[in-house]
Amino acid sequence: MTSNLLTLRIKRFHKEKDPPQWIETFQVEIRKGMNLLEALLYIQDEQDGTLSFRYSCRGAVCGSCAMRVNGKDVLACRTHVEDLLEKPALIEPLPSFPVIRDLIVDLSVFFDHYRNIEPYLQGKPVSPHVEYLMEEQKRKEIDPYINCVLCGICFGTCPAFEKDSAFLGPAMLAKAYRFLADPRDRRNDEILKAVNTQQGVWGCKTVFNCVKVCPKEVPPTHGIVKMRGRILRYRLVSIVSRLSSLFSHSKSI
Amino acid sequence: MELLSHDILIIGGGLAGLRAAIEAKKSGRDVAILSKVHPLRSHSVAAQGGINAALGNAPAPSKDTWKNHAFDTIKGSDYLADQDAVEVMCREATERVVEMEHWGTLFSRTKDGKIAQRPFGGAGFPRACYAADRTGHSLLHTLYEQVIGLQIPVYEEWVALSLVVDEGRCAGALGLHFFEGKIIPIQAKAVILATGGYGRTYLRSTNAVINTGRGCFLAYQTGVPLEDMEFVQFHPTSLFGTNILITEGARGEGGYLINAKGERFMERYAPHLMELGPRDIVARGAQTEIDQGRGFEGGYVSLDLRHLGREKILDRLPGIRQIAMDFAGVDPILKPIPIQPAQHYSMGGIPTNVDGETQLPGLLAAGECACVSVHGANRLGGNSLLETLVFGDRAGRKAAEQVGKEREIRRDTVFQNHLRAFQIGLEEIFERKTEEPSFLIRDEMKALMTSQVGIYRNEPALLSAKEKIKELKKRFLKIGLKQRDLAFNHEAIQYWDLEGMLHLVDAIVEGALVRKESRGSHFRVDFPNRDDEHWLRHTLAFKTPEGAKLDYKEVTITSYPPKERTY
Repeated sequence: MTSNLLTLRIKRFHKEKDPPQWIETFQVEIRKGMNLLEALLYIQDEQDGTLSFRYSCRGAVCGSCAMRVNGKDVLACRTHVEDLLEKPALIEPLPSFPVIRDLIVDLSVFFDHYRNIEPYLQGKPVSPHVEYLMEEQKRKEIDPYINCVLCGICFGTCPAFEKDSAFLGPAMLAKAYRFLADPRDRRNDEILKAVNTQQGVWGCKTVFNCVKVCPKEVPPTHGIVKMRGRILRYRLVSIVSRLSSLFSHSKSI
Repeated sequence: MELLSHDILIIGGGLAGLRAAIEAKKSGRDVAILSKVHPLRSHSVAAQGGINAALGNAPAPSKDTWKNHAFDTIKGSDYLADQDAVEVMCREATERVVEMEHWGTLFSRTKDGKIAQRPFGGAGFPRACYAADRTGHSLLHTLYEQVIGLQIPVYEEWVALSLVVDEGRCAGALGLHFFEGKIIPIQAKAVILATGGYGRTYLRSTNAVINTGRGCFLAYQTGVPLEDMEFVQFHPTSLFGTNILITEGARGEGGYLINAKGERFMERYAPHLMELGPRDIVARGAQTEIDQGRGFEGGYVSLDLRHLGREKILDRLPGIRQIAMDFAGVDPILKPIPIQPAQHYSMGGIPTNVDGETQLPGLLAAGECACVSVHGANRLGGNSLLETLVFGDRAGRKAAEQVGKEREIRRDTVFQNHLRAFQIGLEEIFERKTEEPSFLIRDEMKALMTSQVGIYRNEPALLSAKEKIKELKKRFLKIGLKQRDLAFNHEAIQYWDLEGMLHLVDAIVEGALVRKESRGSHFRVDFPNRDDEHWLRHTLAFKTPEGAKLDYKEVTITSYPPKERTY
């Protein structure tokens, strides 16, 4: 019989303490339907007011409460505590980001990469009074990439960072694809140029880890593969056109 | 003393705050945003169903116009909205929505490629423009992207502690850098509050955990009144248990509300519009079914989408399907969603004119924390996103117009004095020895608001709520803070939030107690009818040492004289 007592082993970090890092065990009496974020809020209220973690919507739409639970990176709010009762659950901050305190990590590198891809639509000139006409089919094609909540989970499971920490990362490449696929954005060549690097689409190992862990079902790898295809086609076209110009040149001699 | 300085400081990084920032920045002003969470974590992100604008893109017997939109909004408000403000909002709606489309919001599309629109409660036309059922997410990300493009600085994870008023003018704010624990004054020629609603004063609420009404309290503390606080919207369809929002769009797409006897019970409450009645009426319907024993065991009714079919659900309502599966273990393609009414929106707030100006010079407000008033006694679905954009834009523009680009002299002494006074107050709190944790008071307050000041209200319940709040305030004043360091001091944040919320609920209860009529979301069982003769007026609550003191002001009527409201 499973008990109603949830045991959490939480990795703590307070940089001014000695040692700064330790694992602390908390126990929480659970209610039916309780999620991990509620359990953490309960601990913060009733057991240890110094326990730090981020939260906001509690409905898996804001991306605040990403953390590592028993080795898997998840959103705390959509993690049922019923699934954590078997043995003490290990709660850690998201990997691959510097820890600020307890479960709060520094996402500045993440958002630096975000800024680097210029993540804002650079539209074609349009009438200010009416919307740009877009086919619903086109919208559906972009839609999966729009759902990214920038929680940072995909960075932790992506092996490309082991080779190059400057890798743009799955979320950002998905974002780049989102603008590339958007018929309203005029930057096709620029976007492809920006991701046509080892830190861009060529750094991806296409192991689909990001696709598997994304809590919002965003498929970054699919976008990356599509961008690679576009780049290769581009190269092929330019080779063919160079060859054909060479051919027509030689003929004219 | 470190003193930061900007032309315009915007407190809050949701849709209204970001939209204001963009406008002010484009006018060439030095703008900064202060937000207690990263802007993308703001509650705007959770909005689902749509944003109203009379584009007239969906097939309808006649062409939709902004005037139709204004009429629906005013009727929906139970005639408490200021009609001039509603006209401004509805007239500017198209421009704001098209602008978002041009900035990149991925709206769903009609067959001919235009922005798709769906029917929403209390609206005569399919008017809610939507991006599947993640409209707030799409809009917020689009605006944040613009903010990145314009390089507007954001003080992320800073908390606004108080507003600084000097010579009758708002001169800036005290900000707490939460990770460093430093209180840093920020001087500004204008401050725009865009901090959202106060839903978390209720136990059962669809709101994000962060929605504590901080901005309303900041303004209230300076002597600015709060308007129409008793008008609290209850959404008919929150997920049973967690109270996560299930969009009105689900009913817009054709979903049914069903009681335990299998009846579409809205037949009793809004026979013409049925499930698409306005929120106040549908919420009361659902609550009545539950109260009168026609709900399911545990106290809920259900939202049945099964007849819409798999394809439509996956296409139009993928987000709520995921929410229902994640948080209730129910796939709406196969089973009805268990739902119950829950607090959803704060119609009341800081009174402003249509340019976001409050009665305190230099202080503006926009979005849910403000009360323009475009929602009156009941907001229509799809109008809150619209309000953030229209009035965010106007407040940003007005602030820029007011302040000019010229450098301001540093007011070190003013800020130094304010900071010192704040720190002395803090010392006093540190000295208190009471061990009672603030969460107990918070939880009692929230339970009280849901049980006594909810959908159905009456005098004895409101009187007892008033007494209880007095007691909670007394207990609160004895609470001390154990941790002196303000870095990551959740206890202190909890303390300040609770302080603010106790004042806000005091204003809600006082307004509800005195208003002896039923209008929109405010339903008094002991006064079940609307009483225009005595109560067609806005409540203003002023903060005094004895609690909220009320005053009233006229409602602006332009071309829509109050009529009986039937659906």
